[in-house]
Amino acid sequence: MVEPTGAKRSDAAVGTTESTEARSGIDAGTPGRSVAATMRTRDLNLYYGDLQAVQDVTMTVEPHKVTALIGSSGCGKTTFLRSLNRMHELTAGARVEGEITLDEQDIYASGIDPVKVRRMVGMVFQAPNPFPTMSIYENVAAGLSLASGRVRKSVKDEVVERSLRGAHLWNEVKDRLDRPGSGLSGGQQQRLCIARAIAVEPEVLLMDEPCSALDPVATLAIEDLIAELKSRYTIVIVTHNMQQAARASDTTAFFNLEETGRPGRLVEIGPTETIFTSPREQATEDYVSGRFG
Amino acid sequence: MTPEVTRAEYQEELEALEAGALGGLELVSAALARTLEAVEHQDVELAQLVIADDDRIDGRYLEVHQALITLLATQAPVATDLRLISALLHVLKNVERMGDQCVNVCKLIPLTGNEPPADEEMVRLILAMGAQTGALIAQSKRSFEERNVEMARDLVRRDDAVDDLNRECFSLALELGDDPDMREWAMTMLLAARAIERIGDNAVDIGEQVAFVVTGLFREFEDASHPQPTPRP
Repeated sequence: MVEPTGAKRSDAAVGTTESTEARSGIDAGTPGRSVAATMRTRDLNLYYGDLQAVQDVTMTVEPHKVTALIGSSGCGKTTFLRSLNRMHELTAGARVEGEITLDEQDIYASGIDPVKVRRMVGMVFQAPNPFPTMSIYENVAAGLSLASGRVRKSVKDEVVERSLRGAHLWNEVKDRLDRPGSGLSGGQQQRLCIARAIAVEPEVLLMDEPCSALDPVATLAIEDLIAELKSRYTIVIVTHNMQQAARASDTTAFFNLEETGRPGRLVEIGPTETIFTSPREQATEDYVSGRFG
Repeated sequence: MTPEVTRAEYQEELEALEAGALGGLELVSAALARTLEAVEHQDVELAQLVIADDDRIDGRYLEVHQALITLLATQAPVATDLRLISALLHVLKNVERMGDQCVNVCKLIPLTGNEPPADEEMVRLILAMGAQTGALIAQSKRSFEERNVEMARDLVRRDDAVDDLNRECFSLALELGDDPDMREWAMTMLLAARAIERIGDNAVDIGEQVAFVVTGLFREFEDASHPQPTPRP
C-alpha cells in the first residue's frame, strides 16, 4: 500500500551528485549502461482526490517489448502511464494505492526518491517540449546534469552524440548543436525529446501519444525509432491511433470504463496480433473494430 | 462506456459483400443443377449455356474481391471483421472453382457423342452425387450465414458420402466391359464424377472458413495428406 504523497514538487529539484560506476536499480542513482527492466503493477488504484481514475490494474510490462495502452479518452491510460514513473503524484490531491515494481523493487516504497524513479523510467510527452531557450546540445545534456550533477565536457559530448544518434537525429543536427531546439521541425523536436530521455540511460521509456502532433512521415520515423529502442529499453506507449498500436507494439493493453464517471479498468492485455485478430473480450473487439470510442 | 454504433456505412458494406460472396454459392447451385440436367439428357445446348453463364460467377468473384480489397485498404478492418474478410476472399475463390468444375463437366458432354452407350446405373450414381453436392453447397452457405461451426463440421460427414459414390462410379466403370465406345464414355463420366466430387471438397473448405471466422483458428477439418480413419457405420 502506498501512502498519499500529494504534490511534492520540491522532489523534482533534488538530484543526486553521485558519479560512480554504472549500476542498475533505483538506488544506483547515476546514468549508466541501461538494462531494460520488467515493470509490474498489482491491484493498482489511482485517484484524483475523491475521484477514482483507475481501478484494480494488475499487469506486467515485459522488457525489450513495446507495450501499447489503448482505450477511449478518459479510460485512465495516461493516468496509469504517469503512475509508472511517479508523475501522477505531482497533481494536487492525486493518490496511489497498490503496488508498482521495477525489477521487483517497489517504486513507491518509503525512502525511494521519486527523482531517481523518473531517471530510471523516462517520459516522452504528447507535444514535443524541448526547453525553448536551450540549444539542441543543452537540451540533450539537461537531463544528464539533472540526474548526475556536474559532468565533464568530454563525457557530455559523448553522451549528447550517442543520444542524438540513438534518436536518429544526429545527422540532421550535428552541424548546428548550438542552435535552439525550438527551431527544429515537430518530428525533429520529438526525436530531440527522445534523445533527452535516453541521455540518462533509463530502463523504461514511457511515451504519451508521442506522435499525435506529428505528420504521417514524422510518425513513421518515430515508430521506426521505437522499434529500434526496444532492443535496449522497456517501452510503454499510450496511443489513440489503433493502427499505430498494431504496427508498433508487441503487447497491447485495452483500458475501458463501464460508463462515464466510473474508473478505468484493464479489460484485456495480450500479444498485439491476438488483440487485433482474435481478442478475447467483446469490449476489446468493439473498440479495435471502431464500433465505439 | 456505452457502446454506440459507429462506422455504420462500413458495417453495411461489409454485410453487403458477405451477401454478395455467399450469393455466389446460389449461382453455383443453379449452374450445378443445370449441369446435372445436361448430363442426364446429354443436352449439349444446356451445357453450352452453363459454360457461357460461368462469366456471371467469375464476374461476381471479381466484383466482390475488388470491393473487399478496397475495404481492406480504406477501413483497416481488424478482429472479427478482418477474419470475415479473409474468409470471404477464400469463399470467393471456392465459388469460382466450383463454377469452373461445372464448366469442366459441361465441356465433357459434347465429347460423348450424339448417342452414347449411356449406362443407366452410372448416370444414376452421378446424379446422386450431384444432388448430394448441391445439398453440401446449400449447407455450407447456411453454416456461414449462421456462423454455425457444428453445421460446418457436419459437411465432412456428408462429403464422405459423395466420396463413396465417386468410388462406386470407379468400380462400376471397371465392370462396364471391353467395348471401346463404352469404355470411352465411362472414362468421360469418371472425369465428370471427379469434378463433382471436387465441388463437394470446396464446400467443406467453406465450412473450415466458418470455423475460422467464429474461433479465430484455422484448421483443416480433414487433412488429405495425413488422413485419419473415419469410423463408418
